[in-house]
Amino acid sequence: MTTRTSLQKTLGIGLTLGVTLLWLLGVTASGLVAQHEMNEVFDSALEETAQRILPLAVTDILNSENGAGNQKAPALKDHDEYLTYLVRDEAGNILLQSHDADPGVFSRTPAEGFSDTLTHRLYGVSAVSNTIYLEVAEPLAHRRESALEAGLALLLPLLVLIPVSLLGVWWIVRLSLRKVVDFQQDIESRGAGDLSPVVEEQLPREFEPIAGAINRLLERLHRALESERSFTANSAHELRTPLATALAKVQRLKTRMPDDYLKNDVAEIEEALRSLSVLSGKLLELAKAEGGGALSQSQQDLVPILAMIARDFEAQAPGRVVLSLPEREVNSFLDPDAFAILVRNLIENALKHGSRSEPVKINLNDNGVLRVCNGGARVPPEQLALLRNRFARAKTDAAGSGLGLAIADAIAKGAGMTLHLRSPATGRQDGFEAELNLACI
Amino acid sequence: MRVLLVEDTVGLGEAVRDQIADDGHAVDWVQTLGFAEASVRTTPYDLILLDLMLPDGHGLGFLRTLRATGKTTPVIILTARDQVSDRIEGLNAGADDYLVKPFDLSELSARVAAVARRYRGNPSPIIQVGELMIDLGDHRISRNGLPVELTAREWALFEGFIQRPGMLLSRSQLEDRLYAFGAEIESNTIEVYVSRLRKKLGRDAIVTVRGMGYRLETHDH
Repeated sequence: MTTRTSLQKTLGIGLTLGVTLLWLLGVTASGLVAQHEMNEVFDSALEETAQRILPLAVTDILNSENGAGNQKAPALKDHDEYLTYLVRDEAGNILLQSHDADPGVFSRTPAEGFSDTLTHRLYGVSAVSNTIYLEVAEPLAHRRESALEAGLALLLPLLVLIPVSLLGVWWIVRLSLRKVVDFQQDIESRGAGDLSPVVEEQLPREFEPIAGAINRLLERLHRALESERSFTANSAHELRTPLATALAKVQRLKTRMPDDYLKNDVAEIEEALRSLSVLSGKLLELAKAEGGGALSQSQQDLVPILAMIARDFEAQAPGRVVLSLPEREVNSFLDPDAFAILVRNLIENALKHGSRSEPVKINLNDNGVLRVCNGGARVPPEQLALLRNRFARAKTDAAGSGLGLAIADAIAKGAGMTLHLRSPATGRQDGFEAELNLACI
Repeated sequence: MRVLLVEDTVGLGEAVRDQIADDGHAVDWVQTLGFAEASVRTTPYDLILLDLMLPDGHGLGFLRTLRATGKTTPVIILTARDQVSDRIEGLNAGADDYLVKPFDLSELSARVAAVARRYRGNPSPIIQVGELMIDLGDHRISRNGLPVELTAREWALFEGFIQRPGMLLSRSQLEDRLYAFGAEIESNTIEVYVSRLRKKLGRDAIVTVRGMGYRLETHDH
């Protein structure tokens, strides 16, 4: 099984994924830069806070030296305290702390400058000859939350960007490929035998070489088919004319022969020439059937052709042909000449090998299904399977070239149709039936 | 009938010419379209047997020109082109029948007779004129049930009358029918042949219209 991709779908998904990936890379880079800058700002705020609080804390501690001990600075108003501070002496005793400060988050020994614990960022500063230390702590979670919010702010547009990008790319690609789609539909909608050039002027420049290549191929195919047709027609002429001359001369000779013995000899030559004519005709038909001329460039009504051929057979075998035609046209891309050969062979086959006491029924219905049916003995399945082979014959006394059904089958195959051979015929206990759908192409 | 055969293959042309002549028709055989065009300009033919692929052109062009000039002479195409499209093209161009080579000469004779009958407006091969029963297919005549034997030239002349029963035929029209047999035409040739026909078919079968020509009597006496 082959998986065919849609250019529109591939471009739509590919471009959207590309844009999304680039956006994510951009967001990551921006997030990292923003985080770095934010950390600098937060650190600066931490440092500034420590330096501004330290003089106030020292003054406060010195003023209350007698009642020294742990003092909590009361909150003027309820609020979330992101920055907490702790003032300690050189021995580490807490002298003052902010109201939400947790001593556990600070290091045991006060230190100056920036430091980190698992949960907090700290900044320490000292005063009064390193006897009083102040440390300010800020939760790292706060910083992460800020970074996360900034990242989310950058990521959120993707929710809109992805569908908009998909839609935009799909629309632009569709617009760009409109002429290509028209081109594709033009090729799809043309008949199977239509070899006229495709229109390439409207196509985007990138597709022009494809159209050009298709047109060159169509032209070569057209020329090949034409020369094949011409060769078949010329061969027919070159072969039939001397045969016609020989046959006519022999027939004239026969009328002038006084001797019955010689007349019989001439009659045998005449019969041999007639057989040669039939065989050469069949071989030419087979050549045409196996060539590429089974399809025509436009649809044609096949009903009048079937009627004409049936009339010919009715003239040759009066009363043995029963024709049933539809009320309306049956249009098909099957080449009229190929159709005539096909039908002629099917009817000939039915007349030769069918029961002489029953007519050959030729039925073409409104749906374009052609059936040629004859009475006679049932053809065994193993023989039925071989009838399409060249020079194959069912067990019969009738003379035949053994090419008729091979020719009919080759034409049907060449036109993309299926020739069904059945025995017994539909609705009967015996007989033979050939069926094919002319309107399927 | 007077038949124009247009066929460039010598052997086939000879055989067809002999067959049609044996059927009792006068045949002019030409091998090119140029000669065919000249022939139809000067001679009124009853039938044209036309090959298609000729050395100086395609027979269908000749046929179309013939029809375009209003000539309704029946035409049977004899060709090696056996495709149904060729046949349809030939019939559409104005042919009356289409016979694919190789063909049986007996089949050709039958087709010639059928086309001739169609043009006479009588598709049956047997017609009755007065007390005469005429089988156009077999060239047999019986008068009051008794067979009448006609020579080829007598038949050719009589056929001219059958084709236009009751209508006046001029001396020159009748002479044309005999020319094709290579007959020496003298001043009294037509009178001689008409006299022979009267002897065989009945004194009143052919009426003389003094100074104008002859006419086949069609009513019973």
